Amino acid sequence: MHRGHQLRLEGITHRFGEFVAVQGIDLDIAGGEIIALLGPSGCGKSTILRIVSGFISQTQGRVMFDGEEVDHLPPNRRAVGIVFQNYALFPHMTVRQNVAFGLEAQKWQRDRIAPRVDEMLSLVHMREFAERMPRELSGGQQQRVALARCLAVDPKVLLLDEPFGALDKNLRLDMQIEVKRLQREYGITTILVTHDQEEALSMADRIAVMSRGCIEQVSSPTEIYDQPATLFVNQFVGTTNIIPGELIESDATACRVRLVTGETLEATSRPGLHAGAKVVVSIRPEHMRLQDEFVPNCMRGSVKAVLPLGPYVLYEIELGAGATIKVSAPRRAAGDSLRALGQMVHAAPAKVAACLVFPSQ
Amino acid sequence: MSQRKQTSDWEAQSVPLIFGVLTTVAIVFLIAPTLIVLVTSFTDSQSLKFPPEGLSFRWYLALLDADQMQRAAWNSLVVAFWTTILSVVLGTAAAIAMARSRNSWIRVADALFMSPLVLPALAFGFAALIFVHQIGFRPNIPFLVLGHVIVCVPFVLRTTIAALSQLDSSLLDASYSLGASWWMTFHRVTLPLIGRGIGAGAFLAFMASFDNVPVSLFLADERTEVLPIHLWQQIETNLDVRTAAVSGLIIIITLILMIIAERLAGLTRQLR
Ligand SMILES: Nc1ncnc2c1ncn2[C@@H]1O[C@H](COP(=O)(O)OP(=O)(O)OP(=O)(O)O)[C@@H](O)[C@H]1O
Ligand SMILES: [Mg+2]
Repeated sequence: MHRGHQLRLEGITHRFGEFVAVQGIDLDIAGGEIIALLGPSGCGKSTILRIVSGFISQTQGRVMFDGEEVDHLPPNRRAVGIVFQNYALFPHMTVRQNVAFGLEAQKWQRDRIAPRVDEMLSLVHMREFAERMPRELSGGQQQRVALARCLAVDPKVLLLDEPFGALDKNLRLDMQIEVKRLQREYGITTILVTHDQEEALSMADRIAVMSRGCIEQVSSPTEIYDQPATLFVNQFVGTTNIIPGELIESDATACRVRLVTGETLEATSRPGLHAGAKVVVSIRPEHMRLQDEFVPNCMRGSVKAVLPLGPYVLYEIELGAGATIKVSAPRRAAGDSLRALGQMVHAAPAKVAACLVFPSQ
Repeated sequence: MSQRKQTSDWEAQSVPLIFGVLTTVAIVFLIAPTLIVLVTSFTDSQSLKFPPEGLSFRWYLALLDADQMQRAAWNSLVVAFWTTILSVVLGTAAAIAMARSRNSWIRVADALFMSPLVLPALAFGFAALIFVHQIGFRPNIPFLVLGHVIVCVPFVLRTTIAALSQLDSSLLDASYSLGASWWMTFHRVTLPLIGRGIGAGAFLAFMASFDNVPVSLFLADERTEVLPIHLWQQIETNLDVRTAAVSGLIIIITLILMIIAERLAGLTRQLR
C-alpha cells in the first residue's frame, strides 16, 4: 500500500465578510496520519475542510499537498475525498452506480470500472447490496458505501466531517473501528472533524483542539488529556474541576496555590506564572481520592450528592467559599459502601502532576 | 371548567366544518362548469342547451371536417410546443443561476421574471404589440411564441427553484470532490434530481400557452388563428356546438395528461 500524502496548512485565515471564521491555522499532517479537528460548534472545523477540499478559497495562507501548493486547483482536481455527515449518496443511483461515479468522472476505462467497484464494495462488506438504492440502506450501510465511493478514486487526502454524527451509539463504535481499519489499510492521510471528544481520543493519531477559529493545541490524545496547553483544552476534553486561587510560590517543576477555600494545594508549575498571580487550579474528578482524615495537600468539604454510575461513583463535594468539586471513585468490589450525604471528607489529588494551574481569565 | 371544554369542542368542530363548506363550494364551482360543458358536448341537437335532450357523438365527428378549427388547434399546439421548449431552457438556466448566486440583484431579477404572473397579460400583450411595431416588424409566429414564453417562464422558474431548494448541496460537493466536471455534475446529478420539478413547470407552461388569450390576441397575425380565440369567435358569431366538443376534448386530454404526469412524477407534489 502507498505511504499517504503529506498535507500542510500554512497560516490559513478565512473571513466571511467581516467575520473571521478561522485564523492563523498552521498544521502539518504526515502521510498516512489521522488527525482529529475537535472543537465546539461554530469554531471553524468545517470551514477548514472546505478550504482543504477547495470549495472555498481562503483569505490568506496556503494549502500544500506533498510540498506543492494546491490553492489554484478547483475541487474536482484536488483528489480530496470527503465523507459527509449525511453521506450524500446520490439518491437516484444504485450503490454500484454511486461507487462507479467517481471512476467515470476520472475517465477510467469501462472494463476496469466494474471490478474496481466490486473490490471497493467487498472492502466495506457491501457487495451483496450493490443493486440497492441508497434509501433502502441503513445509516451504517450508507456510510460504508460513501466510504467505498470516496476511496475508489484513490484520493490523496480523506476528509471526514462528523461522519458518525447520525449513527446510534453501538453502530458508531463499529463504524469507528471500520473506518480506522480502512484508513490504516490504505495509509491515507485523514482529517476527522468531530465535536465528540471520545471519538477524537480513540481514533486520531493527533488531535487539534480548536476554539473560535484558532488551534489551541495539537498533540497526541494522551498529551491533550494529561497536559492540556490551555484551560479551554482542559475543559473541553474530559471533565475537570476548576478552583480559583492565588499562586504563592513557584519553581521550575512545582508550585503552591492558596485556594479561595483557604487551603493550599501543590500543583505542577506553568512557565510564565509567578508568585502573586491569580490562577485557577484544575483537577480531573478521577485524579482525586476521598479520605476521612486530614492529609497535607487536600480540600475539606461535605458530600452534597452521590451518583452511583456503575463502575464508579461520582461524588459532589461542597468546599468552603461556594466552590464545589466532583470526585469519581472507582468501586473496587460489589457491595462497597458509599459515602453518606453530608459526611465530611477530604479530597486529595492523587499526584502533583494531576493538579494543573492556568492563568485565571 | 366545563364551559371552557364546551368552547374548545365547538372550536374543534367548527373549524373542519367551515373548511369543509368552503372546499365543497370551491369544488362545485370548479367542477360544475366543466361537467356542464362536457355533458353539453354530447348533445344531439343544434343548441348548447343544458341538459341536452339526447346524447350523441355527432359534434365530435363534426370536428373531423372542421378544417378551420383543426388549423387553429394545430397552430396552438405548435406555439405551445415551442413556448414550452424555450420556457424550459430559459427557466431552468435562470433558476440554476439564481439558486447559486447570493447576490442581491438576484431578488430584482426574480421579481422581474415573475412579474408576468401579476401584471395584467392584456396590458403586456398590447405593450408587446406596440414594441414589435416600433422595431419595424409585424406580428408573426416567432413573436407570438416569444410573448408566450414571457408569460410562461414563471411557471418553470417557480417549480425549478422549488426543486433546487430541495436539492442537497452536499450532493453537488460530493460530485465535484469525486472529480466530476460542472457538466457531468449537472447532467448526472442536478438534472435527474430536479427533473420532476422542471417537468411540472413544463406541463404548466404548455397548458398556460395553449389556452392563452390575452397575448395571442395582440401578437397573432391575421393568418395564424389560435384555438382559444377561434373558439371565442365561433361562440360569439353562431353559438357553434362544435366548440363544446372541442372543450370536451381538451378537458379529457388534459385529465389524461394529468393522470399520466401524476403517475410518472407526482405532479401535485412538485407544485406545492
Ligand atoms: N457561508 C458563510 N457565511 C458566513 N459565515 C459563515 C459561513 N459559513 C460558516 N460561517 C461561520 O463561520 C463559523 C465557522 O463555521 P464552521 O461551519 O466551520 O463551524 P464548525 O466548526 O464546522 O461547526 P459545527 O460543529 O457546528 O459544524 C461559524 O460561526 C459560522 O457561522
Ligand atoms: Mg461543521
